[in-house]
Formats: sequence, C-alpha cells, structure tokens
Amino acid sequence: MTAIELKHDHTLSGTGALLRFMLRRDRIRTNAWVVGIGVAAFYFAHAIQVIAESADELRSLTIMFADPVGRMMSGPGFGMEEPTHERFFASGYVLYLYILIALMSAFTVVRHTRMEEQTGRAELIRANVVGRHSTLTATLVLTGAANAVVAALVWMAAFTAGYAAIGSALVALGGFVVGLFFAGVAAVTSQLCETSRGAAATAGGAIGVAFLIRMGGDAAEPGGSAASWFSPLAWSQQTAPYVDDRWWPLLLTVGGTILLLWLSFSLSARRDLGASLLPTRPGRPNARPTLGSPLGLAFHTLKGTLRGWGIALILTGLMFGSFAQTMVDAADDLPQEMAQIFAGEDMVKGYLAYAALFVAVFVAAMVVGAMQQLRNEETHGRAELGLSTPMSRVTWLGAHVTVLLLGIATVLVAVGSLMGVGAVAVLQGNSEGFFVELLAACVHQAPAVLAVVGIVVAFFGWLPRASGSVGWAIVGYSAIMANFGQLLELPQFFHELNIFGHLSPYPVEAVSWTSVVILTGMGVTGILVGLLGWHLREINRA
Amino acid sequence: MSNQNSVISAHNVVKTFGAVRALDDLSLEIAPGEVHGFLGPNGSGKSTTMRILLGLMRQDSGTVRIFNRDPWHDAVALHRRLAYVPGDVELWPNLTGGEVIDMFLRLRGQYAHTRTRRNELVERFDLDPRKKTRTYSKGNRQKVALISALASDVDLLLLDEPTSGLDPLMEAEFQEIIKEERLKGRSVLLSSHILAQVEALSDRLSIIRAGRVVESGTLAELRHMTRTTFEVETTHSVEALVGLSYVHNIRTSGARSLFEVDAEHIQDVMARLTRLQTQSIVAHPPTLEQLLMRHYSHEVPS
Repeated sequence: MTAIELKHDHTLSGTGALLRFMLRRDRIRTNAWVVGIGVAAFYFAHAIQVIAESADELRSLTIMFADPVGRMMSGPGFGMEEPTHERFFASGYVLYLYILIALMSAFTVVRHTRMEEQTGRAELIRANVVGRHSTLTATLVLTGAANAVVAALVWMAAFTAGYAAIGSALVALGGFVVGLFFAGVAAVTSQLCETSRGAAATAGGAIGVAFLIRMGGDAAEPGGSAASWFSPLAWSQQTAPYVDDRWWPLLLTVGGTILLLWLSFSLSARRDLGASLLPTRPGRPNARPTLGSPLGLAFHTLKGTLRGWGIALILTGLMFGSFAQTMVDAADDLPQEMAQIFAGEDMVKGYLAYAALFVAVFVAAMVVGAMQQLRNEETHGRAELGLSTPMSRVTWLGAHVTVLLLGIATVLVAVGSLMGVGAVAVLQGNSEGFFVELLAACVHQAPAVLAVVGIVVAFFGWLPRASGSVGWAIVGYSAIMANFGQLLELPQFFHELNIFGHLSPYPVEAVSWTSVVILTGMGVTGILVGLLGWHLREINRA
Repeated sequence: MSNQNSVISAHNVVKTFGAVRALDDLSLEIAPGEVHGFLGPNGSGKSTTMRILLGLMRQDSGTVRIFNRDPWHDAVALHRRLAYVPGDVELWPNLTGGEVIDMFLRLRGQYAHTRTRRNELVERFDLDPRKKTRTYSKGNRQKVALISALASDVDLLLLDEPTSGLDPLMEAEFQEIIKEERLKGRSVLLSSHILAQVEALSDRLSIIRAGRVVESGTLAELRHMTRTTFEVETTHSVEALVGLSYVHNIRTSGARSLFEVDAEHIQDVMARLTRLQTQSIVAHPPTLEQLLMRHYSHEVPS
C-alpha cells in the first residue's frame, strides 16, 4: 500500500500557473501600457531632432530645461551648457517616461494583489494548491517582465535615434529600476490598505512625493542638490546619461527595491487573507441631508473624479503660469517650429493661449472620465437602484450633467486664476493685465468643452457602449492637434474636425463669437438629445 | 382581461434580447394585499420581469399595468408607491450602509417619518450602519437594500431573490417582517428559487419557466394538481397496486413501500391498502419541490 505522497509543497506552489493566468488576463492591459510607453519613448527620442535641427536652435531651447523652473519640471539638466539631441532627450523627457513606468508598475501590482483580495477572487485562487507567497511572487515577476520589455523598447528608441549605446542603456536601466522600486512600494501599500483604491492611491502618492522631492532638489542647482538624493526618480537621472555615464546611483534604487520587497513579503506573512494592516475607519451611521437629493447623489458619484482631475489641472496651471518669464526670456531665440506651436507674434500671449488650450483638452478628458463613470453606474446596477425611487431618468442624468458642468466651470476658473497668479508672480514689470487675460483665456475654452459634453452625453443617451471610445477619441485627437496640428501639414478638413481648433487663440486674437455660439449650441443640443435618448432607452440592457 | 383592482397585471408579455426570447407570453396577476411568490430557476425570466415592472425595460408586446398605470410611462409616479430590492445589490463603495439607506429614504421624500422604522429594521437585521459598503458581504448589501425598501412607506414591494445572501437567522427575521407587512395590507412580489421561503410566505404563486408562467394559483390549488406520497407497511405485498394508472413509482423494501398517488384517486388507494392489511401509513402532500421538479426535470424547454 502506498501512502499518499505529499509533494514538496511550499509557499511558492503554483506560482508558474498563476503567472500564466495573469499573462492571459493582462494580455491587453499590460501590453497597452508597454506599447504606449514604448511609443512615447520613440516619439521623445526622435521628435527633438525634428523640432530643433541645428545646434543653434537646440541651444536656444535649453533654457526650457536648464533654468530653475525648467529643471523643476524635467530633471537635473546635465550637460546643458553644451546641448546635444541625446542630452536633450535625457534631460527633458526621460523623467516623464519614468513616471509612466512607475505608474504602470504600481497599478499592475495593486491590481493583481489587493484588488484580487478585495473582490474575493484571491480566496478562490488560494483555496487551490497555491502557496502563501505565490500571488505576490507571480505579480512581481509579471511586473518585472513588463519593465524589462519597456526598458528594451526605451533603449531601442534612443539607439535608433542615433544616441550613444551606453548612455541609452543607462536611461533604459534607470526606467527598469524605477519600475521595480515602485512595484515594491505598491506591494507594501497593498499589505497596508484594505481597498485597491487606497493601495493604488497611496502608491501613487509615493510617486508624487518622489517627484516633489526631486523638484526641489533639481531646481536648487544644475545637476541636482542634496534633496535630489532622496528620491528614486532622481537617482535614475543622477546617472547623467550621455554626460558622465555613471552606474552607481542605480545601486540606491536596487537596494531600496530589495528592502521594499523583503518588507512586503514579511508583512503579507503576518496578516490574514483579505485583512489589512491599516484598519478602515467606521463612517457615518446616518447620511448628511445633502446626500438625499438627485444632485447630492450625482455629486457623490462624481466628486472623486472631479477632485482628482481638478487638483492635477490646478497644479498644471500653476506650473504653466510660473513658466511665463522663462518664455519671455526665450521668446527671442526660439526655433521656428516651437513658435508655430505657441501661435502669434506676441510670444507670451501665444504661450498663454496654448496653456489655456492644453488645460481645456484635459478638462475634456475629465468630462469623458466622468461620463464613463455614469456608464459604470448603469452597468453596475446602481443607476437601477436609484431609478427605482421616484426619480425620473431625466432628473438622474440631468443632475449628473449639472454637477459635471459646475465642475467644469470651477476647474476652468480655478486653473485660469492660478495660472494668472503664477504668471504675475514670476513676470517682471508690466504684468497686471496677465491675470485677467489668463482667466479669460481659460474661461474662453468653455464652449469647446461644452461641445464635448454634448457629444458624449448624446452618445450616452443613444449608443451608450460607444460613448467612452468616442469621448477618448475626441480627447486624443484634440491633444494631437493642439500640440502638433500646426507642425503637420494637414488638409483643412482635419483642422475642421478638431473641436478645439475653432475657437480663436485668445488672447493673441480677439474672441470669435461665431465659434463660441456654434460650439455652445452644439453642447446644449447634444445634452438635450442625450437626455431624450436616455429617457427613451432601456436601462442597462444586456 | 385586466382587472381594475389588480396591483400588478401583466398579459402576454414578450421580451426578446436579440435571438433570445427572455419572456415568452408571460401573464401575471397580483391582487391588493397579496404576497405573490414568483418561482423559477436562474435565467427563467424573473429579473427581466422585475425590470419591466420597474419601467427600466420595455416589453416588445403585451400589456403591463401596475396600479392600473403603465410602468414605462409613469415610472416616477409609480415608484412613489413601490420599492425594489434587486437580486444582485451593488452599492456605492465609499458610502456607509446607513448613508445609503438614508439616501434612498430621502430620495423618496420619506426621511423624517420613517426614522423609527429604519432604526428598528437596522436593529432587527443586525446591520452595522457605520461600515463602508465596500466592506459588506453580499448578505449585508442585501440587508441595506431590504431595509431601505421595507422602511419605505409604499404599497408594493418588488423583491428579486431578496434573501439569497442571508443566513438562516436573518432569513427567519425576513419572513417575520414580510408577514407583518402583509398584515399592513402591502402587496409583495417575491421572486425566489428557494421553495421553502415561497411556501412559508406566499398567498399565491406563479411558476415561471423559460419566460412563461406554467402554473399559477394558491398553494392548495397547485398541490391539487399533483400527487400525494404514501409510505406504508403492509402484511401482504403491494403487488396489487402495480400497474394502476394513478399509482406511480412504487419502491418496495421488505414490508415497507413508497409510492405516489394522483390526488383524485386517494380514496381508491386507501380502500385497497386496507385489504393489504396495512400496519402503518404515512402520507404527505406534495412538496413544492416535487411540483417544480415535474415542470423542470422532464422535457427540455421548447
């Protein structure tokens, strides 16, 4: 008689199977991240050679990355006294690749660990022959693999642009270790927080803090100061690619990563499945009176989205405003291509018009995000519950659109004001007019945003499944046209198609009231058409 | 024909989703003050019916009236008089259970005068209203929806498998509360695939199969259409019963036998049993289980 032989079971059993399962589940999402970052890297590496062909043009652009405000936004700016395309790539753009890589890694880890536990799917998995550490291990392997592919793409992007192989390898490796580091951060926050939202927000916050620390450090001195040595984002830039090509700063990131991974595994061994180390606080046993109205419900549903986008855009506005003086200084010797993006003779005004447009496109993104949330309310059955009370469909959608419109107005006014404050603060001399002009420039974009609201709401009413993709397509198209529309020599039709292209570039030119009226009309009509469709159609039809 | 007094009156309702015929000539009639059990397995069309009754979906053909009004056109007016508990309750994850309940009561404009009832129900269902709904189990989310529906001052409750996540203690509490609601004269449409629940609560019931109501009536009426189970111990063999057209499924082991008899032939069988010198006899009415099995186990839906 043979005894049942217990196979060599340990805390990592099933890791391979889990990894295959994760790859299957992630075959679109992770690939989209990887390809997206890869494409961004190719664009950053190659575009600079088109924007600034000659060394003179390049030199005149360095001011954007070499002065304190520029360094604040882009990094320590090594080798800017003698700019080359490759140094420009490393100083100006690589930081944003690193941020994307950090976000990809953190979100991937949270999605496969805490979210799985929160939804109860982890329980289903762990009831099988799966070790305690298998899920986390498989997740980290997956994230590491994604980062390796991204790093390879980044290296190829730089190398094909004709940049030095060693420096390019440092840029790519810097991204790789940043990805691993923030995967480690997310692995720890996933042990600490009970919800995937909390874990992702905490990890995202850590990326934000890392950014802020290096902002201060890099702004203080060219090449970074002491504070630059306290941020993993800065460590990867301290390798000074294409200038000094030093490897050792990456050891800091690797050490930190090892520490974080050790911490996450030991924390996960200390807790029950589904439990967290930071308990959630109990909430209110009764509702505040404001919650019990259609507007209150709508506000509650949308406030998270509006607040998140709002804060990000206000900070962006402040940044744009504080760039104003830099633009004045740079105005004289900007290359022709940059001047085309920042329309108009008066460089600063052109820059401000561009800033308002840039912000408005992102406000449109906020609109699409909010409308997708409404669609989620519908597909998740919460709209159905709300509509089972004496609240009509028109009231429901009307309340949500009202909150959205108020949110848009608030964000545009707040961003405009802060951009104005930023500009007035840095501009030397006659800057009194700028505050009002910037505020007006932002508010002036409202009709275009309203038109986007109209289109997306109309789709929500009649073709709900298409509303998200149509909305994102509009935002993406607008972003491309806003940034490169003038550089690309496109037929007029493509410009007509761009919703944001119809408003005049105020304050460079006077307001075109015809466009304002037409766009407003489009928005209002779209909202009404959407309300009608929503009134007539079935809710959450399978 | 539509009865003017009916709370719910649906006739020949057809609803298709593409090629799938979700409701196929469904008819349903519920009188005021009636607790009506709506029995059927998953995918038989119970939830689709509920959502048409709520005016969230519209039937392709047939008529639906609630309180003699059209649920699609008069949804808001009707929703003042009814409350709904979905089968799969999804809530706003960052609100607490208490907040969700209050929000619904406020949306109905019934916040102030339902406080006592609301708190009583929270107590009876043993719900912690301070917890965020994302931390709730399915049962607790269901409790939130149940409390806000039951605390509402309405004439009709539409409950779609309301207790599928509740534990037996809470299930008992739920049954108690529904009985109280019936005494208050409320009408209830209670969909379920839990037979015991429907049996304990319903005045009348309808059995739905593949989008069509196949049986409808009081429990007694439905039982009448089916068979009584006999468990007997006889001195003589029950051979004599074999082959009778109204005696089914005879199983014998030793002196004990088990068989089923069509309702209208019980007299006859009793007479025959006496002749076989019956030592002991246990007879019980058909359970809903048997009723249901008869409708579902035989043929594949056409």
